[in-house]
Amino acid sequence: MEQNRRQFLLSGWKVGGAVLIGAAFYTAYEALRPLVGGAGGTKLKVGPPDNFAKNTSTYYPEGRLYVVNAKGDLLALSQKCPHLGCQVPFCESSGRFECPCHGSIFDLGGEYITGPSPRGMDRYPLEVKGDTVVVDTGTLEAGPDRGAKKYFEPPQGPSCIK
Amino acid sequence: MTNDTRDALEPEVATPATGFVSRVQRSDAWRSMFRHPQLDTPRGRALQSFSNFFLHLYPVKVPARVLRMRYSFRLGFIAAVLFAILTLTGVYLMFVYTPSPSAAYGDMQHLKTSVGFGQLIRNVHRWSAHLMVLTVALHMVRVFYAGAYKKPREFNWVIGVVLLLITLGFSFTGYLLPWDQLSYWAVTVGTNLVHYVPVVGGELQNLLIGGDQIGPSTLLRFYALHVAVLPSALAMLIAIHIWRVRKDGFAVKRSSVGAFEEAATVAPNAPVAASALPGAPPALYGDRTRLLGVVDRESVTAEERAVDDTVFTWPHLVARHVVVLLGVAAVVLALGVAFVAPLRGLANPNVTPEPSKAPWYFSALQELLSHFDPLVAGILVPSGIVLLLLLLPYIDRNPATEARNRKVAVIVFSVLLAAAVILTVIGTLFRGPGWTFVAPWTHLYLEL
Repeated sequence: MEQNRRQFLLSGWKVGGAVLIGAAFYTAYEALRPLVGGAGGTKLKVGPPDNFAKNTSTYYPEGRLYVVNAKGDLLALSQKCPHLGCQVPFCESSGRFECPCHGSIFDLGGEYITGPSPRGMDRYPLEVKGDTVVVDTGTLEAGPDRGAKKYFEPPQGPSCIK
Repeated sequence: MTNDTRDALEPEVATPATGFVSRVQRSDAWRSMFRHPQLDTPRGRALQSFSNFFLHLYPVKVPARVLRMRYSFRLGFIAAVLFAILTLTGVYLMFVYTPSPSAAYGDMQHLKTSVGFGQLIRNVHRWSAHLMVLTVALHMVRVFYAGAYKKPREFNWVIGVVLLLITLGFSFTGYLLPWDQLSYWAVTVGTNLVHYVPVVGGELQNLLIGGDQIGPSTLLRFYALHVAVLPSALAMLIAIHIWRVRKDGFAVKRSSVGAFEEAATVAPNAPVAASALPGAPPALYGDRTRLLGVVDRESVTAEERAVDDTVFTWPHLVARHVVVLLGVAAVVLALGVAFVAPLRGLANPNVTPEPSKAPWYFSALQELLSHFDPLVAGILVPSGIVLLLLLLPYIDRNPATEARNRKVAVIVFSVLLAAAVILTVIGTLFRGPGWTFVAPWTHLYLEL
């Protein structure tokens, strides 16, 4: 491609301008990008496994999570609704998790029952170390797909939101 | 020289100075500030408009139809007035507000209990914000039904859509600032929506809230957006919007023809065909007008025009605008006195209140969200509608402005509008805890 000096300089200005704009966007991106994960990421010790009676839910506000014993399995469920992030309270009367924002309902194991949520409640890995249960709040695992029915139970009483 | 304190262009027409005020007005200092002559002649008025910064927002003359209330219902002007009120009250609030989670809520209580007129200013700010969203939306609806977005005003419509989005951005960012339960959870829902944007959603959400949950950086970011980024963007775009109203010509319809009269006030090199306005006002200054005062008189080409249907902006339009301004100020002040802006308990990340509702202008979205997948209801539908609005003047190329000649456009727009209104009414009035259906006459769960 043939170019005279004037055209070359003109395209030089354009390229320079584009680089400058790109640099401005990159600077803004780097400045606004959060560097630390806010979820804590600590290992949360929640006491011996015997503390969690069958079919109960225990709330740990410091980890923003529930530790549940669903049909004998211990699970750590994030309180954050997978739909739009509301805090999902445990409804004692129905024995289910019921989100007040848009009406998603999950069973005790956090599996999807009804509502607009795309999946079940997200989980944290949990292990029994010695005589205490430890929840790793640094890794959040996506909840089970909508079809999961492993922990499903009919409601034990009236719903808290309906 | 006896003439040196007057405008050199102006002959001695005004009465000679008598008294203190006149002497001040003829002093060098005064003339250095206000250059226009105080002449109550057409030429004097035109020169006043030309040389006054604030009046230069207006054209010197406007088509007489612009003066009618029915022409625009003054909606654009009302929106601008509300923006001015919001700026004034907002600056006042900035003096007592700290954008940090540990201080913000206390500042709101402080405002209520120990700042003179603090609660009133906050009320006025809140009701003005609600009214601004409403006014901007109505303005858009009005412009659509008038067909005023059509050539040559296509791009001004696009700017208008962006102004609507910025207005909603103001509401959304401002909503978080009180740091109460209402703001915390509404913004939680709103920002989690961003997560569903394909590919870049997670990253976008992180950039917006500065972490993986709403916290100190979110509050600071929203504050910076609310008091610096959005106001400057809005002010700049409003200036361009108003400037283009002048440059593109007013959308004044001629009663006999479907198309707009393009050049009633602009483009002197494109003479207007003799307009057949029945019952138009009689010509005031003969059948020719001159381009006023900016070029050498000899070089002005006389423009042939059968009827001059224009009137001076000052005082005719400006006086009407002042009345509207006072009316708007009175309404928001009355609302501020009568209704207190809500403040719920301190934001608690561990307890979602019942019910958690978005403000009314987002409740249509929330209603959709309870029925469809978030990607569809929260991302595809809203961005599709915004895209449709942005492209509207380029899709709808039919020049007709009467409803009977543009049935498709009117029907499509009306259906979408009706859907938005119905969803808003259901979401605002008919939804209770857990987003269950509640009749408003049994219990009204309405948060403004």
